Amino acid sequence: MTRPKLDEPRPDQLQADDLDVAGEAGATPARPASHLGIRGILDWLRWGWRQLTSMRTALILLFLLAAGSVPGSLLPQDGTNPEGVQQYYVSHPLLARVLGDVSLFNVFGAPWYAAIYLLLFISLVGCVLPRTLHMVGSARQPPPRAPRRLDRLPHAVSYATTVDPETALDGAAALLARKRFRVRTGPGWVAAEKGYLREAGNLLFHLALVGMLVSIGMGGLFGYKANRVLVEGTSFANTVTALDEFHQGRMVSPSDLQPFTVTLNRFRASYVTAGPLTGQPASFNAKISYTSSPGAKQQTFSLDVNHPLVVDGVRVFLIGHGYAPTFRVTDGTGRVVFDGAVPFIPVETSGLTSEGAIKVPDADPKGLGFAGVFLPTAVDVNGQLESAFPAPDNPMVSLVSYAGNLGMNSGPSQSVYALDTAGLRELPVAPRPLAVGQSIKLPNGLGTLTYTGYQQWISLTITYDPGQGPALYSGVVLLAGLLLSFMVRRRRVFVRAVAGEAGQTTVDIGGLTRSDAAGGFEDEFADLAAEISQLHQGGQDSDTGEQDPPEQQPGGESPEPPPSNTSGE
Amino acid sequence: MFRLSCSVGRGARRVIGPTVCLLLAGAVTLGVTACGGGATAQQTAVGNGSSFVSGSYGTTVFSPGNRPVAPDVTGITLTGSRFRLSADRGTVVVMNFWGSWCTPCREEAPALAALARRFPPSAARFIGVDIRDDPASAEAFIQTFRVGYPSLNDPNDEVALDFSGTVPPAGIPTTLVIDRSGRIAARIVGAASYDGLAALITQVSREGS
Repeated sequence: MTRPKLDEPRPDQLQADDLDVAGEAGATPARPASHLGIRGILDWLRWGWRQLTSMRTALILLFLLAAGSVPGSLLPQDGTNPEGVQQYYVSHPLLARVLGDVSLFNVFGAPWYAAIYLLLFISLVGCVLPRTLHMVGSARQPPPRAPRRLDRLPHAVSYATTVDPETALDGAAALLARKRFRVRTGPGWVAAEKGYLREAGNLLFHLALVGMLVSIGMGGLFGYKANRVLVEGTSFANTVTALDEFHQGRMVSPSDLQPFTVTLNRFRASYVTAGPLTGQPASFNAKISYTSSPGAKQQTFSLDVNHPLVVDGVRVFLIGHGYAPTFRVTDGTGRVVFDGAVPFIPVETSGLTSEGAIKVPDADPKGLGFAGVFLPTAVDVNGQLESAFPAPDNPMVSLVSYAGNLGMNSGPSQSVYALDTAGLRELPVAPRPLAVGQSIKLPNGLGTLTYTGYQQWISLTITYDPGQGPALYSGVVLLAGLLLSFMVRRRRVFVRAVAGEAGQTTVDIGGLTRSDAAGGFEDEFADLAAEISQLHQGGQDSDTGEQDPPEQQPGGESPEPPPSNTSGE
Repeated sequence: MFRLSCSVGRGARRVIGPTVCLLLAGAVTLGVTACGGGATAQQTAVGNGSSFVSGSYGTTVFSPGNRPVAPDVTGITLTGSRFRLSADRGTVVVMNFWGSWCTPCREEAPALAALARRFPPSAARFIGVDIRDDPASAEAFIQTFRVGYPSLNDPNDEVALDFSGTVPPAGIPTTLVIDRSGRIAARIVGAASYDGLAALITQVSREGS
């Protein structure tokens, strides 16, 4: 047990501490008087800091953070659903422009959102750090002096004994110290306190909280997130040019990316085939091979939803899938100008009808473009072609053909999933859906498109968050600290002994617990009191060895005890 | 007794502190992870509209004493011949990462093709690296822009990967100017201009000769 410190804590601090009735509670810091000068500015700064780090501000900021996230989940976001954003601009041009101006399509990257969480971070750290220091002080603090009137404490016992006061107190102090109480003695009293683990728990909690905030910040600085669409039979490397989308932390440069490669060997999706859930996905699985660095041995992995590949600290998640029909395009000169798979984007989930575009800007004599849909299970519904099921049971494509300038030789980058038809002319081709192996012969000898088959693609999210581990550990420590601080109560026991009439000594024992959660201490106090009185009754451990039975007395007034300072233990 | 006051008083905070702080911490964690919120398998997460990273545009020039060594890139060209970067040691090499589907690549293609004709092989050799492309489209691109220099076929991003840890291409297109001793002298991310690239090649080819 820690030895009690002899330095006297400030009396006012003890008072406030003692019964948790701090008069300061509920007081908002006074607004500084509006006098000018450096002092005035300092006062204002101090006031502002106190406002920022107050619990109220933190709660308001938290509310704002939550409120700010709402548009992030209601509106399509640039990061996760850029197609949706484009769609929104088309369907609500005016509203979309206004929303775009206040970053509502990129909420989580918006300056105002960053302002909220940065302020919240500062507010929390500013609230937690001073509290941590306070906690350290509190954990090191010796028990306060015994109050004068122990009978006013929630738990109190008083009795008379023939043991002289000094011996009685010595015995009580020794007993309490043996019971792992932190003991402090003074003239005519013993004060003991236990349950400092509560403070340790509090301390752990607060430090872990700071640790968690720092870990999250670290992840933001040194982490990155990327997306990539990968067609069966192809591979990619974790390098910026191979990624469809790349969001990097402030401290990440393209040369920091872990140099692994991933090849998609085969993707399988299974769907519910009967009942009300028909067409719902039942399982997804991607068989991939990967190398962790150039020249490393190739390994295989079975990638499932929520079962990421972890390579070199980077997590690769399977988050989406679709079809990539394959086409071969021959131009007017008879040259093959396109031969490959084109990922189409699903536009609905029950049949996985997907949209996409084939761009052949280098066809001769004219550039060619095709836009249309892929139907995994094509069925004719009243003359309208639809997809009845997401599995490729009758995979057909329906395309519109264009010729002209695809607008790809200058200007802004285009979506690879849609045609820019501004410089294109629609060709008069009878709209006929194609089965695998069928072709469209374009008029005027412009060329031929053949639908050669289909493959599947998966979309991967690659995340690297070095703060994740530390955040987890912080979280565990945080919980442990919280439990400790909730379950351990700080409790205090005071003993006073005064010499009364006829050689008798009046012993008062009082106890209180500092937390609100009651229960348990009553019994503990009763046991302690019994043990102490037993001590004085038997008088075995004191060298006076008196054997007089104690006389129960109602707790009466006790005059000031003689100044017998038995300091320390 | 729990006092859920929002005051800054020490007494009140001792009661509600840990609980509220925990809630705050949890909420902050959720909030921040929501920033990187993952799409579900149902969603079509297929990258940004243009579906490739255009990178931060601009030219980076490395002073002669400060140049990272280029990896010894090897590969097979679109026409089937072998290529090894170190075989060109002694001349300036211009390495251009491109794809036939990429608008800025098509924009810069005429300038690159013209520069390759202007500089004799003793001054600078050009090599393209065709990424995320099908060979048929790449061949059509080469014919359209009358590109006279060879290009590596790099469907698996092996060339870009070789540069990881040094000066990797930070977007498509990226053009690297490699000096006579095989060190990276400059990098252009985004469409290269005729004049800008010409000046770089001239400057680097004059060094140490």
